[in-house]
Amino acid sequence: MKGAAGLLARYAEDRVAAAALALFALLALAALAAPWLAPQNPYDLAQLDILDARLPPGSAAGATELVYRLGTDAQGRDMLSAMLYGLRISLAVGFAATAGGLALGLLVGLSSALAGGRVDALIMRAADLQLAFPAILLALILLAALGPGPGKIVAALVAAQWAYYARAVRGVALVEREKDYIAAVRLLGLSGPRILFRHLLPNCLPALIVVATLQVGAAIALEATLSFLGVGLPVTEPSLGLLIANGFQYLLSGKYWISVFPGLLLLGLILAINLVAERLRVLLNPRLQGV
Amino acid sequence: MPAFLRLLPAMLLACALSVAQARDPGDLVIGFGADVSSLDPHFLNAVPNVAAAAHLFDALVHVDPDGKLVPGLAVSWQAVDATTWEFKLRRGVKFHDGSDFTAEDVMFSLERPAKVVNSPGPFTSYTRQIASRQIVDPYTVRLKTPAPYGPLPLDLTTIYMVSKKAAANATTEDFNSGRAAVGTGPFKFGAFRRGEAIDLVRNDAYWGGKPAWQHVQLRLLTNDAARTAALLAGDVDAIEAVPTPDIARFRANPALRLEQKVSWRTIFWQMDLSRDQSPFVTDKAGRPLAHNPLRDVRVRAAISKAINRQALVERTMEGLAIATGNIVIPGIVGHVDAIKPDAYDLAGAKRLLAEAGYPDGFALTLHGPNNRYVNDEQVVQTVAQMLTRAGLQTRVETMPLSSYFGRARAGEFSFALLGWGSLAGDSALRSLLATPNPDIGWGGFNWGRYSNPELDRLVRAALGETDAAARAKLAGQAVELAMRDHALVPLYHQYASWVMRKGLSYRARVDEFTLANAFHPQ
Repeated sequence: MKGAAGLLARYAEDRVAAAALALFALLALAALAAPWLAPQNPYDLAQLDILDARLPPGSAAGATELVYRLGTDAQGRDMLSAMLYGLRISLAVGFAATAGGLALGLLVGLSSALAGGRVDALIMRAADLQLAFPAILLALILLAALGPGPGKIVAALVAAQWAYYARAVRGVALVEREKDYIAAVRLLGLSGPRILFRHLLPNCLPALIVVATLQVGAAIALEATLSFLGVGLPVTEPSLGLLIANGFQYLLSGKYWISVFPGLLLLGLILAINLVAERLRVLLNPRLQGV
Repeated sequence: MPAFLRLLPAMLLACALSVAQARDPGDLVIGFGADVSSLDPHFLNAVPNVAAAAHLFDALVHVDPDGKLVPGLAVSWQAVDATTWEFKLRRGVKFHDGSDFTAEDVMFSLERPAKVVNSPGPFTSYTRQIASRQIVDPYTVRLKTPAPYGPLPLDLTTIYMVSKKAAANATTEDFNSGRAAVGTGPFKFGAFRRGEAIDLVRNDAYWGGKPAWQHVQLRLLTNDAARTAALLAGDVDAIEAVPTPDIARFRANPALRLEQKVSWRTIFWQMDLSRDQSPFVTDKAGRPLAHNPLRDVRVRAAISKAINRQALVERTMEGLAIATGNIVIPGIVGHVDAIKPDAYDLAGAKRLLAEAGYPDGFALTLHGPNNRYVNDEQVVQTVAQMLTRAGLQTRVETMPLSSYFGRARAGEFSFALLGWGSLAGDSALRSLLATPNPDIGWGGFNWGRYSNPELDRLVRAALGETDAAARAKLAGQAVELAMRDHALVPLYHQYASWVMRKGLSYRARVDEFTLANAFHPQ
């Protein structure tokens, strides 16, 4: 395997993918620096002014020096600030859910592959059952039961997505398990966990990275959908999906900025992530090497 | 999941691009703004259900667009003594099945609300005052109350007359299927497609004159953007509950006609006034407080002063409301002209909070519905914003009406938004602030369990007063007492609005009812 620098160089051969990575990095930085970049803390109700509600982009605030570059929403919230904070939520939820799903999926998938037999069958039927449910439906039901909150959204997303990882891991692990190097370390008498984590896992990773990057995009889209439907996060702390939903009723009356700007941001974010994932899929697939 | 309906407008927009189909000039399609859960007129006491039922059924007493009582199936009524009301019935009225409407049907219809099972909002508060009923002759009935009771005719505007023959032993489901939905109203049952539409056919023999429309469809379009899109696309002829963002555009559109009126509905906050520890009032770190600050009248006064009603009305409600300090609208019993809305006074609010021992405020969660009143979710957020400026730390939780009312009734909230429409201040107080007592139907919406013997006394006296002037005086005193005590925090009276295509007219109604029979071709 080549080093990370080599991988990056090969990644950049695709200009579109390179641009997507740059866009993603930019958005991630903006999200991280949101508290410093945003002109207003959109979640602090004391900083909002209802007298500034629904101002078009470029309007000046009535009582302060602030200029609303992307306009304000129905509560007088600065759209730019709300979008930066919303981006933060989207990314945090997306990555946390992916990490959680990945960890759970790895554990379940590897155990399933190693154990085989009835345990394997049982786990995989459970995964089938979960995959048979639309992810959005499962997440809606869970959130209805759990109540609102970022932690609960993550939990719902993990529950809706773990099976993808488990299936992928099991597939790869079943192939790897039969290979000679595993037979060799078994003959050496290494312990089960050691074989699992030191030998099997690293060789399953490339496939998992691809699944995980794709699922980050899916998780972010799912979170936005849930917020759009009004479940998950409190109305006073809107994420991108909730911002879009809030502006929706104003679309017909010409106040486009409340919905359109967060919509474009969400579109850019998910597009960037999916392009990166696609490029990684090509790079990490041995069968496509040299193509 | 009603939330799914939020996706509907996108689909409807797509439909809007296709050519609107031509409709027969004798047909009328109206977009309702709220869901109708049943066609059983005795099932749920909520405006959407009652308004839908009004197409099929009549009450003894009707309400005109301005809120005045006018003859319905009763041509006249009078108190023959202090505790007896006599109603003279209209002669020659036929049910949709051709049978005659008589005193027997009145007896049956007044008994039925108490027999309806699983009602999420019973009508019994209007029938419980009737201790005995008597048929004097087939067109005269007498109703006795245990104590003098003035508002009985008003109560009976909400109790619809069903056919004893058709509805004997009928369940709510029999009304929804149409089997028992046999009334005397201007339209006959066509079809009830739950969550979608109600189809109605003209009752040519209607006692009030032949309706203008051969077929009427009440389409249930609960999503604001969907309702607007349907009107613009010509799928419906008129809509109720016009979304506030669209009003200005509709007003400027020469192909449409807008009708508005101040509605009887007052929007206000109910506060937890009985418990010393309230679930959603804490210190700013989330720890319980020694006492519930909402029980201190200074804190309630501070909250009222901290709310900038003018900004709320102009910005959040986009001008479609009037700030108020009263419980009922001007011009009806119990409205006190002298009570003005509390002026916005942030410094005064902070001073009062400090006086009450909360110089740094406290933490409060505001609860509200998100699919019932005009802009309800936005209003809750705006008030949270205003209270935050006064030094409180606020959180907002909104939810669909289906779970909201039940939880509020169970006392799960500390500070909750409610809208109440009433044509009398004493009746409103009986439901909202009288000491809760299920046996007599009092305090059914007194979520904060406010209890004030003096208020109870005044309300009882007002309701028992048959002399109009004396009753108005007592009701006014009761309202003044409640407001002096800041027992609830009134915000505003909302506007009811309708938009229709040009060529139609509708007289805006104070009770927010949308009645197909009141739409007229010009």
